Amino acid sequence: MNIRKLLRRNETVLIFAIIIFSLVIGSKSPEFFTTANLFDILRSSFVQLLFALGVLIVIISGGIDVSFPIVGIFAGYTAVVMMRKFQLNEESLLIPITLAIIIGAILGGFNAIAIAGFGIPTLIATLGTAGIFRGLMLSFIGASFISDIPVGLDNFSTADLIKFESDAGTLVRLHVLVIPVAVITIAVSLLLNRTIFGRSVYALGGGIEPTRRLGISIKRTQAKIYMLVGGLSGLAGILYVSLQRKANPYDLAGSELDVIAAVVLGGASIMGGYGTVFGTVLGVLFINMMKNNLVLLGVSSSWQRAAVGVLLVLGITIQAIGENRKSKRQKTAANKEKE
Amino acid sequence: MNERLQRMSTSGLLADRKVTQLMGFTTFIFLIFTIFSFNIFFTPENFRSMAYQVPEIAILSIAVMLSMLTGGIDLSIVGISNAAALVAAYIMTEQMSATGEISSLWIIIACLSGILIGLICGVINSILIAILNVTPILATLATMTLFNGIAIGITNGISVSDLPKQFIRVGNGTFFGIPTPFVLMVAIAAFVGFLINRTGLGLKLLLIGTNRKAAQYSVMGDRKVIAWTYILSGFLSSLAGLIIAARTSAASPDFGNSYILLAIVIVVLGGINPLGGFGTVTGVVLATVVLQMVSSGFNALRFSQFFYLAAQGGVLVAVMILNTVLENRRVNKSINKSLES
Repeated sequence: MNIRKLLRRNETVLIFAIIIFSLVIGSKSPEFFTTANLFDILRSSFVQLLFALGVLIVIISGGIDVSFPIVGIFAGYTAVVMMRKFQLNEESLLIPITLAIIIGAILGGFNAIAIAGFGIPTLIATLGTAGIFRGLMLSFIGASFISDIPVGLDNFSTADLIKFESDAGTLVRLHVLVIPVAVITIAVSLLLNRTIFGRSVYALGGGIEPTRRLGISIKRTQAKIYMLVGGLSGLAGILYVSLQRKANPYDLAGSELDVIAAVVLGGASIMGGYGTVFGTVLGVLFINMMKNNLVLLGVSSSWQRAAVGVLLVLGITIQAIGENRKSKRQKTAANKEKE
Repeated sequence: MNERLQRMSTSGLLADRKVTQLMGFTTFIFLIFTIFSFNIFFTPENFRSMAYQVPEIAILSIAVMLSMLTGGIDLSIVGISNAAALVAAYIMTEQMSATGEISSLWIIIACLSGILIGLICGVINSILIAILNVTPILATLATMTLFNGIAIGITNGISVSDLPKQFIRVGNGTFFGIPTPFVLMVAIAAFVGFLINRTGLGLKLLLIGTNRKAAQYSVMGDRKVIAWTYILSGFLSSLAGLIIAARTSAASPDFGNSYILLAIVIVVLGGINPLGGFGTVTGVVLATVVLQMVSSGFNALRFSQFFYLAAQGGVLVAVMILNTVLENRRVNKSINKSLES
């Protein structure tokens, strides 16, 4: 019974999907099974994973956030502009990161006001704030591409934890970010599973009225969620700027779907109340693995978006079929009990 | 019974009140821009260009409105409209390059294929939402990526341009002095208005939006109604796509990404309840006109297009806040009233 339950879990399915996909690609091109490729997938996953953790928290709470990429690039770009304007220490890495997190949390605060304060449906509220943030950034903070970002951030993009030359002569690099990202991932997991706040996020996704009856403040929990997500997005935004070695205010907009896709593929229920950090990590890795390596399979890069779409439709279809079966089973069980 | 009648009549009044409010708002915006930039805003050229720009976004908004009336949402509208426009444009240009000339018959065939694509996309949405019970947000988010991805894949991300003259004439011509797209929009709006207010399907749509559970228990075939909603939404989106292609003489996979936000802003501003159950086509069309005036007015005053984006978001959030505040006040008032009696 336990094994059956384990097999039915989304994470298990995803692990199998990852294994099958790697075997298929690996058999077609040996380049796939190299350390360099693994590290590349990891490097392209960092920023997305940070965004995805934020989205996971929102989705567990029964909401949806589409403003996070805008919050991220707003925070990252503004932090760089502020560094310039106030001539802060260019060497420092901590200053821009702190700035970006604070800006992100403030923007998240605006989402919190709209959602917790006024009870606007989350999708509509965040669509609106995304428009406001983007419009304000491009008309007042700047609409031009900054290619010479502060030295500290620039140097950070090449800060490697492991660096060696492989037999084939290519440079294999593992970025130092792998440690902080892993720490944050574990911290979010602990936050969700081991704290009162985390449990109230799950409760909120399960149902608003029951949560209220439990004595949990809905508004306060929602406010915390959106500010936390804002802060996480701000961090992701500045790291994106650092890794890209340029601050382009037009970037990231439109990337929300890929992140939501990863979280949903990871098994989080869009109705709220269910989702795991492990599943999200797998979802992000799977999507990045696919995007990075479809070319090896002979799929041209212009079909990548369609591939993500197919994957997403398949993922939600499988989930929906599972849900329908479950509710049917529960119904027949309830009927039997009656008899 | 009498009480119920009374409640129904007040809700009817409320319906009219929203449209009346919006009409007042429209006049207000109109006056403001007329005062501030009379020379540019208050010219026949400006009104003509607005009449060409309003229809496409109005039709897309009507498509979103239909799904919102049932309590869902359709985010794939722009994906569908671009896919439909691309297919039609592709058939036309292929035919043109083969023979150099193109007959009206082929243009009609191309348009019909575009509409067919819209219907197919709508059916895919319907299968996901009505049969598999996927949440509309998630389903249409996924299909939006899918349709857009397929469009990019087929075209390699390049737009198809140089469409035949007869086709462009539809998008840029006039019909008894009125721009043709505008005439088409009025016809479509009238059709959807008739559908919502005068047919069984429309009534069921509103009932499902008001209370899905109650609709299920009254065995009206709620899944079938929802399926029709998304198919209709796909159909309207494909029409909007064809009009856009005819006006701009091009079809591109990434045209009008900002239209999703705009369409939702318009629908909410037009007085549709995002949780379903209430809304009018008149409201949506009026809201489109308001936002187009704001856009043209900002242009005339030389504000940047990004400022307009911020204004769209601001309007959306402000209208939603205003709605909740007014709603709370109304509920409190009625509670107090019942406490008093």
